[in-house]
Amino acid sequence: MIELRDVRFEYSEGGFSLHVPELRIPAGTRAAAIGPSGSGKTTLLNLISGIERPRGGQIETAGTRVDALSPPARRSFRITTVGFVFQDFLLLDYLDVLENILYPYRLHHDLRLDDDARARAQRLAADLGIERMLPRRPDELSQGERQRVAIARALVTSPKLILADEPTGNLDPATKQQALELLFEQCDALSMTLLMVTHDHGLLDRFGHVVDVSAFVEGLP
Amino acid sequence: MNDSLYLAWRYLSHHRAKTLLLVLSLSVFLGLPLVMRAMSAVIQQSLMARAQSTPLLLGKKGSSLDLVVEALYFQPKGIEALTASDADEIDGTGLAQAIPVRTGLLARQFPVVGTSLDYFSFRGLRIAEGRALGTLGECVVGAEVATTLGLEPGDSLLTSPSTLFDLAGVYPLKLRVVGTLEPSYAPDDRTVFVDVKTAWVAEGLGHGHQDLATASGDVVLKRKDGAVTANAKLVQYNEITTENADGFHFHGAPSSYPVSAVIVVPNDIKAGVLLRGRFVGDDARQLLRPAQVVQGLNAQIFRFERVLRIIVWTVGLATALMFVLVMVLSWRLRADELRTMTRLGCSRWKAVQIMGAEVFLMVGTSVALAAFLGLAITHYGETWLQNLVLRGS
Repeated sequence: MIELRDVRFEYSEGGFSLHVPELRIPAGTRAAAIGPSGSGKTTLLNLISGIERPRGGQIETAGTRVDALSPPARRSFRITTVGFVFQDFLLLDYLDVLENILYPYRLHHDLRLDDDARARAQRLAADLGIERMLPRRPDELSQGERQRVAIARALVTSPKLILADEPTGNLDPATKQQALELLFEQCDALSMTLLMVTHDHGLLDRFGHVVDVSAFVEGLP
Repeated sequence: MNDSLYLAWRYLSHHRAKTLLLVLSLSVFLGLPLVMRAMSAVIQQSLMARAQSTPLLLGKKGSSLDLVVEALYFQPKGIEALTASDADEIDGTGLAQAIPVRTGLLARQFPVVGTSLDYFSFRGLRIAEGRALGTLGECVVGAEVATTLGLEPGDSLLTSPSTLFDLAGVYPLKLRVVGTLEPSYAPDDRTVFVDVKTAWVAEGLGHGHQDLATASGDVVLKRKDGAVTANAKLVQYNEITTENADGFHFHGAPSSYPVSAVIVVPNDIKAGVLLRGRFVGDDARQLLRPAQVVQGLNAQIFRFERVLRIIVWTVGLATALMFVLVMVLSWRLRADELRTMTRLGCSRWKAVQIMGAEVFLMVGTSVALAAFLGLAITHYGETWLQNLVLRGS
């Protein structure tokens, strides 16, 4: 469950400010965040995941009061509870596909890179159809294949929440559809909550909840 | 920390060219002071030890450094020669033992030194295989010469012709190897030793040919009053054997034949002082203490080393700045990666650890490489360094 109550946020360098009076996304559901560019969709994801801290209000994500956590606790929360899928994938060219999937395990001591983790990565790769690509490097893959690697990286730690920031923005329509199906399928299978930023209104009927972030923005021209 | 090191290692191994360039630059920077120190050690230990073990050296007036370098280290410097009578003169005083040294010849790029048997006992050189010099035409080779050329007693070695395109010049002499020396870790290891008379033969000052008394008519042009004139068909020997040894002879008095220098070993300190006193006013010759000369060379090298050190530090500073610049630019290019790390939940400290691990691996490898270079030069490059210093002196 994601729950925001009377959350206020503004960047120190100015610009728009965000006020979310109330937002609830039940656990295990799919939600889409929509709104024009610069309307604060990514900011909302950052607040929910604890990358940014609100000036006021309460944010509860997967049963944790994220706004009340210290910076190290927020980092620990993020890497164990949240999986990220980025628009530009952000894979590392010096690691092969398997190492890219397991990358979060290298970044925080709360995650332990053991045989179970490796087996999970292999299984995810098989489910996402990239098993044969495991020894390759990202620059040897197609865009669609890279996005699948990024999805596997988000899922490998078995997080409760997946935050996807326009994950199909760089893909052609056919590949986009395939990637989305895989993401939905995996989230449903693992009972994960999915909050996805999208500009594609044609997809909205696939989501149980739709959040128009522009409604929360103050000071937008 | 293992994860940081692993990620750093993967990054560096993926960007091999950049990593190699940085590691080599740092290694050179770190290795140069070690090489300089190794050079100083060589000069202090090796050169000085040999100079100190040679009490006095007699030579023609001229550069004392050239005299010491050629007579002690057998590096050709083109010094003017004394005569064998100078060695006799020292012997005649009864104050010291005189050991002649004749340099200037080469055999397969190794110096051929003509001397007496006393030289071997004076330097403490021991025969490893075979025997010591016995008769004309024999040679004993240093350990390195034996190893490099694969020589052992019973083999032969040709002296290098000094006048290759001069038909009237001196032809190479075939030397019989009768012994090899144990390693002494000194210039003697790279030297071919012959008797001083053999050296004169090799120089063309003594020679051997078929007996004119029994030579056939087509060789002899005329015989008059016991003097025989032969034509070019007369067989000249290029090897001294037991059969033709009697045919070798010297024209003129051997006492007038050249020696490059004379190692003078005084009977005691007083004898040394007396001898030095005798040569103080000598206009043609000098009797010097090699240790003093090498100390002078030492001082010159240390002055040079000080200048070199400033250059090394300047280059080092430039290298360090270049390293920092490359790393900073590299991290700026990797801003997306750093942002991803932070967003996923990586702490800044962990990110610093990963970057630090990259620096650590590169600097560590460079230090190891530089240390290896320094050790290799110290252990195996002594000869090379010695030659480098002496050839440039």
